[in-house]
Amino acid sequence: MPLANLRGRVAWIFDEENFDVDQIVGVKNIKITNVEELARIAMRHYDAAFGEAVRAGDIVVGAGNFGYGHPHYPPLRAIRHLGISGIVAESFAPGFWRGEISMGTPLVPCPGIIGLVRRWDEIEVDWSVGLVRNHTTGNSLAFEPLAAADIAMLETGGLVPYLKRDLAAARAGA
Amino acid sequence: MGYTLAEKVLARVSGGQPVRAGDEVMARPDFVVAYDFPGYTDVIFRQMKEDFGIARVAEPDRYAIFIDHMVPVATAAEEQLHIQTREWCREQGVPLYERRGIGHQVSAELGYASPGAFVVHFDGHISQLGAYGTLAIGLRRNILEAFVRERVSLKVPATTRINLHGALQKGVMARDVFHHIVRVLGPSACRFQVMEVGGPGLSGISLEGRQVICGLAMFTGAVTAVCNPDALSRAYTDPRARITLPELVSDPDASYAAVHDIDISTLDPVIVVPPNPANTRDLAEHIGLPINAGYLGSCASGRLEDLRIAAQILKGRRVADGFSLHVIPTSQEIMARAADEGLIATLVEAGAFTSSPSCDYCFGRIAVLSGGQRAVSTGTLNVSGRMGNPDSEIYLCNAAAVAAAAIEGRVTDPRKYL
Repeated sequence: MPLANLRGRVAWIFDEENFDVDQIVGVKNIKITNVEELARIAMRHYDAAFGEAVRAGDIVVGAGNFGYGHPHYPPLRAIRHLGISGIVAESFAPGFWRGEISMGTPLVPCPGIIGLVRRWDEIEVDWSVGLVRNHTTGNSLAFEPLAAADIAMLETGGLVPYLKRDLAAARAGA
Repeated sequence: MGYTLAEKVLARVSGGQPVRAGDEVMARPDFVVAYDFPGYTDVIFRQMKEDFGIARVAEPDRYAIFIDHMVPVATAAEEQLHIQTREWCREQGVPLYERRGIGHQVSAELGYASPGAFVVHFDGHISQLGAYGTLAIGLRRNILEAFVRERVSLKVPATTRINLHGALQKGVMARDVFHHIVRVLGPSACRFQVMEVGGPGLSGISLEGRQVICGLAMFTGAVTAVCNPDALSRAYTDPRARITLPELVSDPDASYAAVHDIDISTLDPVIVVPPNPANTRDLAEHIGLPINAGYLGSCASGRLEDLRIAAQILKGRRVADGFSLHVIPTSQEIMARAADEGLIATLVEAGAFTSSPSCDYCFGRIAVLSGGQRAVSTGTLNVSGRMGNPDSEIYLCNAAAVAAAAIEGRVTDPRKYL
């Protein structure tokens, strides 16, 4: 099944290069496993009303090398739980990329995205043509294509369903 | 146009046809290496059976499991994890290396660092096997793929080449070279690429030092790092290599994403200030900063040259009152050599605390800091909370600088003790 386009508002822009995603929940809270609790904490440091303002489908935007450092999984679990559908960034750090694609989180490398959007603009990631469209301004930008295996992981919902599908197909073909 | 070492290795393990950076391949790891850790190995072992119906891995000798974290255990739950790991390895016939040292180091000692081999782990610091011409990549949770099928999906990475020139001055170590690379090239210089380190200056850097540089490659954004095998590395790997492969080196006309030249002869010791591994500064800027604790160890230090220089500095001197110095050799092999050379005795007489090898000092499981405290460390990371408390600070530096700080209880230029 082809990937559904992401469409939502820009809920936040992390304009800091090499952003350490652990900051989303704060390092002190990184060992919390309860997703409700994580979601209550997430982004509070940036915008106390974030949890109330964000809607399902909203998108987070980042700068270059997003996810640098030693990324843990709870911060993204938290903001996915709040409704964040994906991240569009100038570029991503590879460890973060692997970890989150394997969780089925759509990540979109789009050089120039910081200049394309402002907070709360309505944007769309159109997988079929490889464009990020800003519906608020009418502008758009091409994003960098994802590897086939990454696309397959997003289509199936993550690493485990992707491998199950692939192994089942291999067995059927054998 | 020629090929890089990474392209040649991935061509060899993905069918034999030449591949170029950007190609998507299904690559067969020569070795799949992991340490037992909650959320990784326990989940993988369960998923293999429950999600994929796979009772046994094919070719168990391609796999290696290490018990190096939670050593020694502090809770029954930790021991339970190790028990489960031991049982799994026994059932599967997979080699298990327990308490031999930090797995990334022991992998090299046991010959998993075969030149030209392709190795995967979940932990990115496995990149240090690149010191021996092995392409070793940390896949995070995608390591599951290597447990449920023969091959892993991979995009062939481009390579950035770094040529080192000159020789290091006294008291300046490979650790400084790596952080200098991050400083001048930036934390995304090799993003999604292989950092290939070479040039005339590499010949003066020990294999231990090359492991340090390659093992920290992730902080340049690299997916791994390699050095082309040379006489020095072959002398180490020839008697140890588990598989013998045709010699692979980058072609002189290989296609690189970028080539950088770095003169290491003018480097001074550096310090990486919290809370980010990209914050390289001159050590000189921080002289006198009060420090409570020092850690000399991890997969990015704790080897003979580190222990030797620390012993040289601490010989006949004392660790400052109230200062906690932990000096932890990285493997049993290293520890035994250090004992033979008298280094352990010198360090202990000076007041250092030492123990058998363990990863636990590096990730804040033991020897933790309290709020408001500050450490100098040769650990891998200085992110907040890494040594157990988010309100403490970690300054990364070379082994000599840790030893010197231990004497004075503050950041000190180690060269005055050498």
